[in-house]
Amino acid sequence: MANNNYNLWHEFKKGLWQELPPFRLILGMCPTLAVTNSVINGVAMGLATSFVLLSANISVSLIRKIVPSQVRIATYVVVIALYVTVADLFLAAMFPPISKALGPYVPLIVVNCIILGRAEGFAQKNPLTPSIMDALGIGLGFTLSLALMGGIREIFGFGSILDIKLLGEWFEPWIVMILPAGAFFVFGFLVALTNYLSKRKAAAPSGH
Amino acid sequence: MNKIVKMVLVLSITGAVSGGILAQVFHFADPLIQENRKKELREAIFVVLSEAKDYTTLEKGNDKEKIVVYKGIDADGKLVGIAFIADGGGFQGNIRIMVGLSTDYLKLKGIKVLEQNETPGLGNRIKEPAFEDQFRGLEIKPKVEYIKYRKPEKPNQIQAITGATISSEAVVKNINNAVERVLKNFPQEEILK
Amino acid sequence: MEEKTQDKPQEKPQEKPVEKLIVSSSPHFLRDENIPKIMHAVVLALLPAMAASVYFFRFRAIGLIIVSVATCLATEYAFQKIRKKPITVWDGSAAITGILLALTLPPSFPYYAAALGSAFAIAIGKQLFGGIGYNIFNPALLGRAFLMATYPVLTTTWSEPLAKTAKAGVDAVSAATPLALMKFEGKMTSHMDLFFGNIAGSMGETSAIAILIGGLYLRYRSYINWKLPLGYLGSMAFFGAIFYLINPSKYPDPLFHILAGGAMLGAWFMVTDMVTSPVTPLGQWIFVICGGFLAVIIRLFGGLPEGVMYSILLMNAFVPLLNKHTRPKFFGEGGQA
Repeated sequence: MANNNYNLWHEFKKGLWQELPPFRLILGMCPTLAVTNSVINGVAMGLATSFVLLSANISVSLIRKIVPSQVRIATYVVVIALYVTVADLFLAAMFPPISKALGPYVPLIVVNCIILGRAEGFAQKNPLTPSIMDALGIGLGFTLSLALMGGIREIFGFGSILDIKLLGEWFEPWIVMILPAGAFFVFGFLVALTNYLSKRKAAAPSGH
Repeated sequence: MNKIVKMVLVLSITGAVSGGILAQVFHFADPLIQENRKKELREAIFVVLSEAKDYTTLEKGNDKEKIVVYKGIDADGKLVGIAFIADGGGFQGNIRIMVGLSTDYLKLKGIKVLEQNETPGLGNRIKEPAFEDQFRGLEIKPKVEYIKYRKPEKPNQIQAITGATISSEAVVKNINNAVERVLKNFPQEEILK
Repeated sequence: MEEKTQDKPQEKPQEKPVEKLIVSSSPHFLRDENIPKIMHAVVLALLPAMAASVYFFRFRAIGLIIVSVATCLATEYAFQKIRKKPITVWDGSAAITGILLALTLPPSFPYYAAALGSAFAIAIGKQLFGGIGYNIFNPALLGRAFLMATYPVLTTTWSEPLAKTAKAGVDAVSAATPLALMKFEGKMTSHMDLFFGNIAGSMGETSAIAILIGGLYLRYRSYINWKLPLGYLGSMAFFGAIFYLINPSKYPDPLFHILAGGAMLGAWFMVTDMVTSPVTPLGQWIFVICGGFLAVIIRLFGGLPEGVMYSILLMNAFVPLLNKHTRPKFFGEGGQA
């Protein structure tokens, strides 16, 4: 595990495209589909998840050598549950409207497979710094993905972005976009788009 | 044997440490959360009883079925009306409404929809002021009614939202049920004294 | 398989009289049928319903039909051009989707919204699945369901037919459909009004007789299997009758069920869609009986006044399953397993 700069940059960067959680790995579907009816909800969910992801990766990476492999999943789940509850309490105390909008989906971060996936797949095998970079990259990728979903759904569903009305009175909002069905439409299109782009990238002869 | 001891030890320590951290966070967050809840309640009461500056809480019934009303008091300490929550089913999920009742027990002073999961753009228009304002000054005797497509004709009628009859009906029904329960459990004399 | 028909090099001369097309054996093309021919017959069959909508709702009806059809054709053309597939815009199937979608819309529906629904119907409902013959759901109904979720207010704002209000000397008057009157106010509409169409409702759904004429024409040309429309309407009437007998004062009579709302249009032109209905006789029976049952249940107990659209879409989803499990045995196959 060479700990040079290039490697760290790579650990960070892979979360932004190569292993972009919702659209490339199709992981973390529950929040991606459920809470992205506006940018602010998407970003809040993304940040809450990133916080849990980062804390869990740090903790798991630190204790990776003392946890017996038979009980590692149980230990990780306890650790993850701790951070999720902290995030939930924090949102309820400081940002009650966001906490209300996200509802049960904050506690559900516990079962978000991205987090256990990173703990099990990366942090338990790697030292602290790469684990942090990994969590930051994946977390940022996840947050941006949710913000993108939220942006598309908000502009069509409400005619606004971040509650700022962009489309005038003439625009009759597409209610379907803020309903669950709209989440599936947007998600489908974005997965198709990422597949198309990655195929084109692979086909290009000088692609890296 | 050694392995088992280690497993138990690691899990116990993780649990204990997590529990400890959580207790600290809770200790810090819980008062804030309670404060938020109280603030929300107070704001809702002041919306439906617009002259109120303060309120007191009255409770009745057992743990199974508790009825709570809030007495709204203005700056001079005079009773301006009572508020209570109407909770019941809507088109999808629950609708929670704060209802304000005048001291003469004849008219509503206003309502505010606190929680709802109605269809966006259709049923969820029950939380728009245009709909809520219809209830201001509405007579509750014999009971609140709704009509469709026309302006209300009687003092106890509101106009249902076009295309969202079920949600409008649910609001009216929940209010009627809650009013009836309050009238039965908190007779006017009891409130006034 | 449809593409095969079109590429068929030697088309027999058109003069040959049409005999009979057995829809349930789609892989065999023994006759000189092809998609354009069938589709043009369907367009012809839709003419009475279109004429009725124009009579009742005047210029709005013409406008909506033109907008929907034009958008459907343009979307199909654009999609096939981009995907570098053979252009099959003129086979009539996209035009039918446009007409059917327009007929399910309220007459006061805005043009841009109709265009959006049409584009969705063709792009998502049809071309994304691979074009004609591969779609799971009836594209027109899918477009309509999309509009229902997208513009819930516009799709449920009805007006009285202009033919009726013109006499009274007023402009468009907002009104409830017979189904909504039944569901929310317990009021019934007379069977005669339902039959001839002097009621509020979607453009093509108002006049039962106009749809019936078109349906019978298609039946006469043997393009539709009688099992599908009659089975669907019969199932609605049967389950409607059960509830009517339980409580005649609360539930409408069976005739009301098959005359009101989209029942006629759905039964004759959407249930019979060759692509999205089962090919086996048993499958077809299951398809229509369950569909009629669902429509009645949604009408009487669901949140919406009308259930025909969702009943057909839901049953569309079961078609592959029905085709798979109701396939008749080959001669000499099985039995001894």
